[in-house]
Amino acid sequence: MSATATTPRPRRRRRGSRRRPVFAIATTVVFFVLLYLPIAMVVLFSFNSQKSLTVFKGFSLRWYEAFFHDSVLLGSLGMSLEVSLVAMLGSVVLGVALALGLVRHKGRLGSYAGLIMMVPLITPEIVTGVASLLLFKGLGITLNSGTVMIAEITFSISYVTVILRSRVAALNPEVEEAAMDLGATRWQALRLVTLPALLPAILASAVLIFALVFDDFVLAYFTTGVDPQPLAVRIYSAIRFGVEPTINAVGTMMLAGSITLIGLALAIPRLFGRRGGLDLISGE
Amino acid sequence: MALRTPVRTEDEPVGRTTRRDRRPRPSAAGARLWTWLTLPGTVWMSVFFIASLLLVAAISFGTTDQLGDPRFGTDLGNLKALADPAYRDVMVRSLGYALLTSVICLLIAYPVAYAVALHAGRLKNALIAAIVVPFFANYLVRMYGWSVLLSDDGPVLRVLRALGLADAHTKILNTGFGVIAGLVYGFVVFMIIPLYAAMERMDTSLIEAGRDLYGGPLRTFLYVTVPATRQGAAAGVVLVFLPAMGDFVSAQFMGGPNQIMIGNLIQDKFFEGQDWPLGSALTMALMAVLLLAMFGYLRRTRKDEAEATR
Amino acid sequence: MTQTPVVPDAPAVPAVRLEHISKEFNGSHAVRDLCLDIAPGEFFSLLGPSGCGKTTTLRMIGGFADPTDGAVLLSGEDVTALPPNKRNVNTVFQSYALFDHLSVADNIGFGLRRKGVPKAEIRERVGAMVDLVQLGGMAERKPRTLSGGQRQRVALARALVNRPAVLLLDEPLAALDLKLRRQMQVELKQIQREVGITFVFVTHDQDEALTMSDRVAVMNGGRVEQCGTPEDVYERPESRFVAAFMGTSNLVSGVYRDGAVQLDGGPSLPVGTRPGIADGSTVDVSIRPEKIWLSDFEPGMPVVGGVIRETVYSGPTTTYLIELAPGVTVAALEQNTARARMEDRWEGGERVEIGYDPEHCLVLGR
Repeated sequence: MSATATTPRPRRRRRGSRRRPVFAIATTVVFFVLLYLPIAMVVLFSFNSQKSLTVFKGFSLRWYEAFFHDSVLLGSLGMSLEVSLVAMLGSVVLGVALALGLVRHKGRLGSYAGLIMMVPLITPEIVTGVASLLLFKGLGITLNSGTVMIAEITFSISYVTVILRSRVAALNPEVEEAAMDLGATRWQALRLVTLPALLPAILASAVLIFALVFDDFVLAYFTTGVDPQPLAVRIYSAIRFGVEPTINAVGTMMLAGSITLIGLALAIPRLFGRRGGLDLISGE
Repeated sequence: MALRTPVRTEDEPVGRTTRRDRRPRPSAAGARLWTWLTLPGTVWMSVFFIASLLLVAAISFGTTDQLGDPRFGTDLGNLKALADPAYRDVMVRSLGYALLTSVICLLIAYPVAYAVALHAGRLKNALIAAIVVPFFANYLVRMYGWSVLLSDDGPVLRVLRALGLADAHTKILNTGFGVIAGLVYGFVVFMIIPLYAAMERMDTSLIEAGRDLYGGPLRTFLYVTVPATRQGAAAGVVLVFLPAMGDFVSAQFMGGPNQIMIGNLIQDKFFEGQDWPLGSALTMALMAVLLLAMFGYLRRTRKDEAEATR
Repeated sequence: MTQTPVVPDAPAVPAVRLEHISKEFNGSHAVRDLCLDIAPGEFFSLLGPSGCGKTTTLRMIGGFADPTDGAVLLSGEDVTALPPNKRNVNTVFQSYALFDHLSVADNIGFGLRRKGVPKAEIRERVGAMVDLVQLGGMAERKPRTLSGGQRQRVALARALVNRPAVLLLDEPLAALDLKLRRQMQVELKQIQREVGITFVFVTHDQDEALTMSDRVAVMNGGRVEQCGTPEDVYERPESRFVAAFMGTSNLVSGVYRDGAVQLDGGPSLPVGTRPGIADGSTVDVSIRPEKIWLSDFEPGMPVVGGVIRETVYSGPTTTYLIELAPGVTVAALEQNTARARMEDRWEGGERVEIGYDPEHCLVLGR
């Protein structure tokens, strides 16, 4: 056997090993078709002139018009934007501070914080939702946009921390020391040198969190009050209790929004002309 | 020593001194800053996450009053109810669906990750972005589109009927297959990404060596590619299994009354049935299954690492 | 001997004084009861292998590490408890530690802005510094776009512009290639003379330390083994470690008696009378390869016979390995000057005689 392995193969054989794997490529093509077809369906039928969800009758913007005249849906949109913004700011502030502290703090607090940061990542959203609902009820807090914000911040801190932690760990500690050597206090060094170095990653994770929170349904569903409700919760009710084609229009706009934001999150490091932003593939 | 320093008085001994006890060390201020940075997030997570999880555990031993509001207690009724055939079946079904979903995702993800990682050339990064981006699109909207696609008079069944692969009675929605299809669609990206990363890291000369050793592409794939990417696959299975086990949207959109999962039960106990203690007990049961899965995974990876370093 | 600060004609107030400083990391000493005085305007090097405590010592002067014990004095003032931003020293870091989001000019002006120096003055001083380190025309570029040598100059300028009493340099040339390194060694020395600031330079490269320094402290195991001028530490090493660390050195051991060392199973080497060494004690004899003669012996010079075992030609010099007795081999170095001819080189196996001046022999008691 080892004799065959060491014998030089004829050229034909080597070219054979670079042959395209037909089965894998065919599967990939089918995969991409099925991945995008449902999305394409939603987009297509959002422009349908008729109410049908299966037969395309002609192009129209009536469902978009309907959305912009629906005060309930507009109220939901406003609430979702508000919740996403607050959750983004809150989780980024807490998460960035935590990431910095976790990497630098060598005590027991640091290891405790590091541990509880990982739990939300392996907890299904429904469990987090149930837990938040019980806590708010137990504390006698009325469910409204505030409770959704708190729950979404809780859910997002881990993401921000995990993304930024590796970036903080990769920073050269001598850079912060250099700032202090040049007369900066530790806090000034953090503000003037460390945070600017982390800025691309911070912005990218902020955009990512905004998109995730805006699209999030499960947590919002468990923690929202009756009126207004976040857009995702409205969509859920609409799909469950009789579909209006307006949902296609809302869905299409949400798709466009999220894709833009994700594109932005991926592009931010490049805008800064350096690596060290968000790497969705290996960064986590 | 004729040296005189401003901070030193005449009668203090010159030379060896233990300064640690007398003066603040410059680095102490730094340590305080790190504590202050760590504290707010830690307190937040402790209150809103850890405490709330403990509350779920506590309520699962509770009861409801006449108004349906939960009361604390030491009642084991809710935990006993989990053994009730009606609930037990749902839990077994959820486990089965989640496991099948993981297996199907594995079968889809291997060829896709393989083709993208090793045969996509310059398109590689664009393709992987094209896989990741829809995942960030709204989950409900995607699920809804998928359910329309697979509906009884939707495009997929129409094509299958035209090809003679399905008859007029073939259904996908309202079947277990439909629910699994939904879960696969929702979470397959979690399988592709770690597998893709593992294949990227893999030494491609292994495959060429495998070709020499084993000949056929299938045998090479099974004996070389699969073992080399085993850790990526294990991570993917966990990443798919965790959310699939807790999902309730797929069963609602794609399944019927006989396909409900544990997530639907929990949702029902909290929103329709108003039996929060039982809902909490179900949540604890779900969490227990997931922690077991996670524990098994961590043990597995530890063993792998230990073998790798030997 | 090494416990008292060694400095000839020390001025009243040294720029840096380390008083019995120690640094422990998890119970092991990185620096152990170290005393050192560095005079104002001196180019002072801390030289030693990695792990000898030289960087830790530098970090304690800069304020990045707290001494477990002892005091750091800058120009007579005890700064042990002060953080780095309150000390009148600046550091050039091994990694340069430039601020990537700031331009070269803003990097250099960082310290002045922290001190609240007026804008116009900052501009002027930064401009002068850019010229001094020859970075003209690059002031607005980002550090990322510069070469290694240019980044090095930015780091230097950023520290020097603050006119610190002491400049600390932590292996600043380690990341540069050999040619650039030689060039920067010369430049750094020139800049130091020009600005007249005390330099404390950490390096593991003995050539670098010898070329640039006014004085060198050779460190080992957290202690100063020897401190003196480059000539002192090279020509008159006081310990086996210093002799071995400062370039190649021959070390042979034997028994000292009546001004000669009897090698184990070999000839006796006259080394002159050594007052500090007792008759009959075991000693190490160290002599540098370039101090061994192979021909044209001077009258009265001790001469010993041996066999050439190896001839190593390396351009400007040729090294011979000569066996004096079974297991006792010394290296001798010959310059391949204009007068030396190729055919005069010794071949392996030839019997030769070597001569030396007993004054060049270092006799170290055990």
